[in-house]
Amino acid sequence: MDTSRQHDSGALPGDFAIWIFIFAELLVFGVFFLAYAFSRANNVELFNESQLELNRLAGAVNTIVLLTSSYFVVRAVASIRANDTRHCGHWLLAAIAVGGVFLIIKMFEFGEKFSAGVSLSTNTFFMFYLSLTFFHFMHVILGMVILAAVLLKTRRGGYSADDHTGVETGASYWHMVDLVWLILFPLVYVIH
Amino acid sequence: MQYSSQAVAKPYFIAAIGLFIGQILFGLIIGTQYVIGDFLFPEIPFNVARMVHTNLLIVWLLFGFMGAAYYLVPEEAERELFSPKLAIAMFWIFLVAGALTIVGYLAVPYATLAAVTGNDLLPTMGREFLEQPTITKVGIVVVALAFLYNIGMTIITGRKTVINIVLLTGLTGLAVLFLFSFYNPINLVLDKMFWWWVVHLWVEGVWELIMGAILAFVLIRLTGVDREVIEKWLYVIIAMALITGIIGTGHHYYWIGTPEYWQWWGSIFSALEPIPFFMMTVFAFTMVNRRRKEHPNKAATLWALGTAVMAFLGAGVWGFLHTLAPVNFYTHGSQITAAHGHMAFYGAYVLVVITMISYAWPHLQHNAPAANGRAQLLEMWSFWLMTISIVFITLFLTGAGILQVYLQRVSDTPLPFMVVQDKIALFYWLRLYTGLIFFAGLCLYVYSFFAKGKESLASS
Amino acid sequence: MSTKPLIRPCTLIWLVLLALTGLTYFVGKSGVTGMAVVSFVLLTTLFKSQMVVDYFMGLKHVRPFWRGLLFGYLLLVCSMIGLAYYLSLA
Repeated sequence: MDTSRQHDSGALPGDFAIWIFIFAELLVFGVFFLAYAFSRANNVELFNESQLELNRLAGAVNTIVLLTSSYFVVRAVASIRANDTRHCGHWLLAAIAVGGVFLIIKMFEFGEKFSAGVSLSTNTFFMFYLSLTFFHFMHVILGMVILAAVLLKTRRGGYSADDHTGVETGASYWHMVDLVWLILFPLVYVIH
Repeated sequence: MQYSSQAVAKPYFIAAIGLFIGQILFGLIIGTQYVIGDFLFPEIPFNVARMVHTNLLIVWLLFGFMGAAYYLVPEEAERELFSPKLAIAMFWIFLVAGALTIVGYLAVPYATLAAVTGNDLLPTMGREFLEQPTITKVGIVVVALAFLYNIGMTIITGRKTVINIVLLTGLTGLAVLFLFSFYNPINLVLDKMFWWWVVHLWVEGVWELIMGAILAFVLIRLTGVDREVIEKWLYVIIAMALITGIIGTGHHYYWIGTPEYWQWWGSIFSALEPIPFFMMTVFAFTMVNRRRKEHPNKAATLWALGTAVMAFLGAGVWGFLHTLAPVNFYTHGSQITAAHGHMAFYGAYVLVVITMISYAWPHLQHNAPAANGRAQLLEMWSFWLMTISIVFITLFLTGAGILQVYLQRVSDTPLPFMVVQDKIALFYWLRLYTGLIFFAGLCLYVYSFFAKGKESLASS
Repeated sequence: MSTKPLIRPCTLIWLVLLALTGLTYFVGKSGVTGMAVVSFVLLTTLFKSQMVVDYFMGLKHVRPFWRGLLFGYLLLVCSMIGLAYYLSLA
């Protein structure tokens, strides 16, 4: 399929099926976010108090990390659109590596909490914090797996300027993962 | 039909409908016992009749799924079934084992059945829907494994279509999850947790894959729409079903002693479980609207569309009504549950099996693409009678449930269970009369198989 | 080929997003609360998210329907969060 034509035709980038997933995931996270927000309204003291125990700096750094990773993916797509397979591969590798940084920082955060004895059953705030960030964590992993698959095919010369639907598909999913965190961070870490 | 081995589906379909009749007869018995408490007591006590009703439902649906698979897999894989003999052998083993089990329920006290079938060696009896003796359960596993082997070998050595793969995945999931019926923890919380791994992950999980695959198969043939389009829809539908349904299992974990976070996880994910059913409805209607040909089997088209709509209403909408934890706290185990259960099972699984039979039977029996006009008309009458009856049964039970929940749990002066049951008896009478109409619809469906047309059969 | 811009558009967007993230972080650190501050944070979030949708996902160039759908989603989620916060102050 001529993806450069598709790019101008008004159609969503990549395979349409991934967009169904993207919308579905956004829906589920959206419902979860609102459940958090309204649950907070019923438990303001508890949420405010428990929220202070969060590592806001780690959350902010992770936001920077994901935004950067997304930026690298944008550069990767731009490269393949210019038929530059080599740089596309480099940008994808960088994106995955930076995604790995997110995972490490997040695991450090989880480690901190678990050793302090915090679990899903500690209180409603921590139930939401752990659930939301854990679900998101799993989606980061899935996104990295998808990007890795795209990277492998790129390395093998499987994409070109005329045919790179797979790259756009993987990129779109990764941006969704970033988008979810963009809402999660202010909602859970900042809004007080 | 294209492959002669598809004929093994016939006995499965016959058994399915036969057991369906048995299921409804026993449904009428327990419906009567709701209002005339000692009807047929002590020969057929309520709990025994209920076991027969629910077990027959599951068994006839399994016969239906197997028949559907034996019919559609050779056609999809573009080769004959791997072993028609094995399929027939398993048919008789399953039928006899099932019949003996039902006879066992009716003929002897349950405790005696447990004793004579060696339940103490590996106790698996005594749980709702899983009342079968352990040896029956082992028999089911053997039949399921042989069935999967047969279908699997056919697919592996033939054309692997999306429909085939989704169906096989669903059926394999069905078999694997059934193994949890052998796991009977002493701890009551764990017992209930794993029980739902069979029940929920069946009907709100892998069975949806089976349903989707069958519906997709039938729609491709009835509408002539591009396979690629239909298969893409199928992928999206089953993805949504699994994304929402797996963690959605949590909506059964609210009150059984598991941690409180299940009330959140279960509510959030299960609230979205209607989505795949909604998609199936849009999918079915869109495909029929975009059809490339006028298939002579109008009845099958009606059954197919009916499946999508009733599944959405019964499983999706009625399920949603009581899925959120704050609501379920009050409605748990009430007639609301029964209302949802009946319409959901009818809409999703009863109808998809009948859709398949309606589509396949003319090919199997008459080598024709559709039954004669009169037979189809009777089928359509049957559809409307059964469907409208179920809708009213559901409405009556919903009414009974709302009243029950209010009087027994919500009101400032809650009343005892039996007192409330007395007060809502009117709904049970109405349900019973409607059940008779449902049965009439079913009889009409059976009669349609024998109806002779005025015009000659359409040639294939 | 015409002269290239000094900085790629997507790089500029990325830097803006980083800056806004820093801003949100410092708002959180400062401990200032209230409807005004939270509205500001939510508006920033909405803006950042739409930037990702438009420029990173590339939806600026697709049919307005999709762009509108995603904007509608973001608007709904952010405004409902704002509503919940407003209710929490009561």
